[in-house]
Amino acid sequence: MAYRGAGGHGQPPSAVRSRVSPGSLSTCRTRTHNICMVSDFFYPNMGGVESHIYQLSQCLIERGHKVIIVTHAYGNRKGIRYLTNGLKVYYLPLKVMYNQSTATTLFHSLPLLRCIFVRERVTIIHSHSSFSAMAHDALFHAKTMGLQTVFTDHSLFGFADVSSVLTNKLLTVSLCDTNHIICVSYTSKENTVLRAALNPEIVSVIPNAVDPTDFTPEPFRRHDSIITIVVVSRLVYRKGTDLLSGIIPELCQKYPDLNFIIGGEGPKRIILEEVRERYQLHDRVRLLGALEHKDVRNVLVQGHIFLNTSLTEAFCMAIVEAASCGLQVVSTRVGGIPEVLPENLIILCEPSVKSLCEGLEKAISQLKSGALPAPENIHNVVKTFYTWRNVAERTEKVYDRVAGEAVLPMDKRLDRLISHCGPVTGCIFALLAVFNFLFLLFLRWMTPDSIIDVAIDATGPKGAWTRQYPYSKKGGENNEMSKPR
Amino acid sequence: MDLCKGGGTGLCLRGRIMCAQPGTNTKEAKWQKILYERQPFPDNYVDRRFLEELQKNIYARKYQYWAVVFESSVVVQQLCSVCVFVVIWWYMDEGLLAPQWLFGTGLASSLIGYVLFDLIDGGEGRKKSGRTRWADLKSALVFITFTYGFSPVLKTLTESVSTDTIYAMAVFMLLGHLIFFDYGANAAIVSSTLSLNMAIFASVCLASRLPRSLHAFIMVTFAIQIFALWPMLQKKLKACTPRSYVGVTLLFAFSALGGLLSISAVGAILFALLLVSISCLCPFYLIRLQLFKENIHGPWDEAEIKEDLSRFLS
Repeated sequence: MAYRGAGGHGQPPSAVRSRVSPGSLSTCRTRTHNICMVSDFFYPNMGGVESHIYQLSQCLIERGHKVIIVTHAYGNRKGIRYLTNGLKVYYLPLKVMYNQSTATTLFHSLPLLRCIFVRERVTIIHSHSSFSAMAHDALFHAKTMGLQTVFTDHSLFGFADVSSVLTNKLLTVSLCDTNHIICVSYTSKENTVLRAALNPEIVSVIPNAVDPTDFTPEPFRRHDSIITIVVVSRLVYRKGTDLLSGIIPELCQKYPDLNFIIGGEGPKRIILEEVRERYQLHDRVRLLGALEHKDVRNVLVQGHIFLNTSLTEAFCMAIVEAASCGLQVVSTRVGGIPEVLPENLIILCEPSVKSLCEGLEKAISQLKSGALPAPENIHNVVKTFYTWRNVAERTEKVYDRVAGEAVLPMDKRLDRLISHCGPVTGCIFALLAVFNFLFLLFLRWMTPDSIIDVAIDATGPKGAWTRQYPYSKKGGENNEMSKPR
Repeated sequence: MDLCKGGGTGLCLRGRIMCAQPGTNTKEAKWQKILYERQPFPDNYVDRRFLEELQKNIYARKYQYWAVVFESSVVVQQLCSVCVFVVIWWYMDEGLLAPQWLFGTGLASSLIGYVLFDLIDGGEGRKKSGRTRWADLKSALVFITFTYGFSPVLKTLTESVSTDTIYAMAVFMLLGHLIFFDYGANAAIVSSTLSLNMAIFASVCLASRLPRSLHAFIMVTFAIQIFALWPMLQKKLKACTPRSYVGVTLLFAFSALGGLLSISAVGAILFALLLVSISCLCPFYLIRLQLFKENIHGPWDEAEIKEDLSRFLS
């Protein structure tokens, strides 16, 4: 995925085109931004947030912005790395506390982050995921430094138990003076507005996307003599693996020509194995274990029906990927799922074994009678729904809007913290904000902004990655190389 | 790739048109809660339907004052049990109460309670559990024999420990008994085994400070009666005959207060205040605070699996 990956993957024609496109696009654009994406979750970790950050950054680079990513070090992967198209990633040496999220003291990351923000001349901080402590830290420091802030929330949260009461309070503090918030679905927006007590006007809904060229149908890969139901998810309680363990025996007894393929790993795998053992379904239920993202498509195309049993979900990319591969989707009606696909492409059920079995039976009978549209047709419809370019374009509008807004000065920020977050929490965090500001003054006195080197832009309007070097030797070589083309 | 870009600029154009004349377009198009189609609204558009699926307090229970007062009697009973136990111990310690007398009364009331226990529900509970009277008699005999046999040991068990430590320990154990007692709440802290064990431990501690081993034996027997058997009878009374349960609770509370009054007037007043605040003031506050309850529910809540899925594995 680093330098070499770029050379290996990007075929010369597309590379040339993407070199041309930023210029042509930026001519019609009034301004470009220096964006810093911050999250604890990034490659080599894999998941929805990680791919969102990567894809969005790539499309923003294509649109002529300068983008860098800041995350924490993953084992041996530390320091600075460059990804495709000169996307610069800082892997910072911060301690991981729990679930790949860093520990936070609100202060210790300031020197490093300030140095990066100044070096890279960042104007907009875009933090991702409410589970990431680093994202919240970055928001806090950015406001102290007077930078514009944007936050993307990828998950849903309840209100009932003590832990969610506490996390929601922290989110209120973190978002009360953030310029703009992005949510991935309307349900997620309602949730975030309630959790953080926000004005809904500053919350935009921009869905996730999938790359439709990665998820193409291949009907010949599946056996039409049998019906195959595919499940691809982590095998954990929140993804409804318990429901799945009830559905499998119920349907396998009813339909002798039904098979299951289950991709994914997790603590609940054991109950699926028990069910398989108990009902002697070893030849009909295949457990594939953990899948790499590139293998998901090859698993999906082997099936006719995709089953999603999640108990909570903000957007659910899995069902879009499955539909893009031409599968009929059966899913629980939870969270933002009803917003994601039109009714003719998805069968929505209540989160119970009975309802899901009815939904699956409906899909099976449609499949047997030939009432389902061809995979190719489904793919052609779905591929128009969600594209990363569209996401980037809409995110860019948010950046444009944010760049025109004023960052709250220190006194107003303190007022807002105290008035908005309750008397106790508000005062505590106002005090912390003051300390943070003093710490920043101290750092500025130690190393003034003026003596911090400016980093070479790899991307952006005058990016080194896209610029031809007429003077240097390397540039000359480049020119020579591009001549034969 | 080029096609996509074309689509992108098309959308861009449409967006600009929308910005130019928002009035006409928004009137025609109705906002839908869907993501798969671009709608002629900005991304931060807030529709009238925003938060329409929000529900509040759907699982919240409405409490009735007297019902809560009735339920609070379990706590009152347990407090009184502890109070009666301590008062009896004090009388024994002072030599004002003969152990034989306590044993006789305890035995008689146990027998009455035993008969009542079966009479209240017409012997249904016994049929369900399938336990014979012979088994009851056997366990009672075994318990009494062993306690009697070991009572000299109990008497000398804590001789090397200072009396202050014993008192402090007994106080903590009785408090622990009250905290962990099963009042009927479904919480992690509830553990009736731990609660009973703490009470028995407290009784052993206190019994070891009595003058003779017969005293110790009778004190521990009494502790079993009041902390293990009495709550069982109470539970049944409460379920089957709520009226008589209220009567029994009042009687028990007044006798506990009377006993305490004979030792210390200040203690009795404080204890009475405690009982009144638990049975009258706390329910009142619970109902008042109920008005401020704001439990938010909506489509973002994690779905609950309501079925019993273990049947697929058994």
